[in-house]
Amino acid sequence: MMTDDVTIPVDVAPVEIAQERRTPSPTQRKVVFDIRDLAVTYGPTTAISGVDLEIYGNLITAFIGPSGCGKSTFIRSLNRMNDLVPGAKVDGRVLYHGQDIYGDGVDPVEVRRRIGMVFQRANPFPKSIYDNVAWGPRVLGMKKALDERVEKALTRAALWDEVKDRLKKSALSLSGGQQQRLCIARAIAIEPEVLLLDEPASALDPIATAAIEELMHDLKDQYTIVIVTHNMQQAARVADMTAFFSLQVEEGKRTGILVEYENTDKLFTNPADKRTEDYVTGRFG
Amino acid sequence: MRTTFQEDLNLLESTLHEEGALVLRALRGALNALEQRDHELADEVIAFDDDVDQRYISIEEGVQTLLARQTPVASDLRLVLAILHVNLHLERMADYCVTIAKLSKLVPDVEPSPRFIEGFEEMGSRCEEMIRIALDSFANRDLEAAESLVTLDELIDRANRRVVERILELGEAQAMREYGLRMVLVSRSLERIGDHAVDIGEQVAYLLTAEFREFTDATHPTSRGS
Repeated sequence: MMTDDVTIPVDVAPVEIAQERRTPSPTQRKVVFDIRDLAVTYGPTTAISGVDLEIYGNLITAFIGPSGCGKSTFIRSLNRMNDLVPGAKVDGRVLYHGQDIYGDGVDPVEVRRRIGMVFQRANPFPKSIYDNVAWGPRVLGMKKALDERVEKALTRAALWDEVKDRLKKSALSLSGGQQQRLCIARAIAIEPEVLLLDEPASALDPIATAAIEELMHDLKDQYTIVIVTHNMQQAARVADMTAFFSLQVEEGKRTGILVEYENTDKLFTNPADKRTEDYVTGRFG
Repeated sequence: MRTTFQEDLNLLESTLHEEGALVLRALRGALNALEQRDHELADEVIAFDDDVDQRYISIEEGVQTLLARQTPVASDLRLVLAILHVNLHLERMADYCVTIAKLSKLVPDVEPSPRFIEGFEEMGSRCEEMIRIALDSFANRDLEAAESLVTLDELIDRANRRVVERILELGEAQAMREYGLRMVLVSRSLERIGDHAVDIGEQVAYLLTAEFREFTDATHPTSRGS
């Protein structure tokens, strides 16, 4: 019979268990966005409704879901990009560090400076590589030590080594993957706190995609990253937290809703909601 | 709907149950060979292991392909991982049957008491029951049945201890001692088959609850089932 307190003296080094990929426990998380009962309508159409969730600092949060479920609408509501869409109306609250970004007197330009965005298609200006990155700081009056700022942004975006000898060349001469990293450099040159990435790798080949994913991983110590992706495996690979949006059909009206929001590990191994399970295992439709 | 993927998963699971049925056959053959001292039957059991290995390899290859090509997640991922483990447990069980068959051929010409062989018959029947319950609990996704394997395993462990006690009573004669040594290994093999059945039950629990846990833990004996 074994007793409860058996100690066997063994002379072995303690085993370290890798915890690097573990998502911080809820108590260690710092809330950056607190979204409450968010609804976005375009004229008579409700794109999303009843969305409640928190987005945490220095983590990668991914949004997945079928086409038209409102995930892009959602991410665009985090930096008031929907303001630019005629007929768009936002209800509910998007609290950024406790402040409602849709509140009275809030300047959307200042919101977008702190919360940068990168889109699906790389959209560099038809200017030089240098000018693309320097454009934001110039507009915002951050003209001091501009060269250093451009170099730092390009370095952070893992592009510096590839372009340092041709900064004056057109940005359009870069490959698709390089252009997307240039857009990330352009976004971080103005030192935002949050990076919103809307399908950043969907137009890229696997190698460029891997570079973007690696970059996200490197950037999260400094930025809070929110990504919308069609590619479920990409969410599984890069995200700490994953949110699943789906379409609810009621009386012929289709509305995007948040179904489940969880640690990525949990969402892809043991989702709580059957709709999530059906989507991630490919049993939808 | 990923029809092909679902079909592949179903095929893997049915091959696994086929493998289970073969293990049951091998175990019955090994026990009969031992009781009846039938060397021919023992040879058949040994040769029959190739059939089990064939299923084992085909399941390994199938799992490899599924992981590489379909990237299963959630309950699909748990099912694939459970199949991978159960496959290994079944293959090990079949190896123990081969061990019993080989040992049955090596016994010297002695006549132990019938009580002795009855002990093995008891252990063997319990093993068969456990394998059936393990496979059924997997097929029916039945957590309660899977967890019941622990209690059955305790009965095998007890029977194993009884067999060992009887071996000690076999006497001093050289042939009896040799016989006793071989029979310790037979008993041990049956006891291990029971353990593997419990391990299959643990995989069923993992499949259903997504929690990794051992039903029994020798290091923390009081934490069973928690």
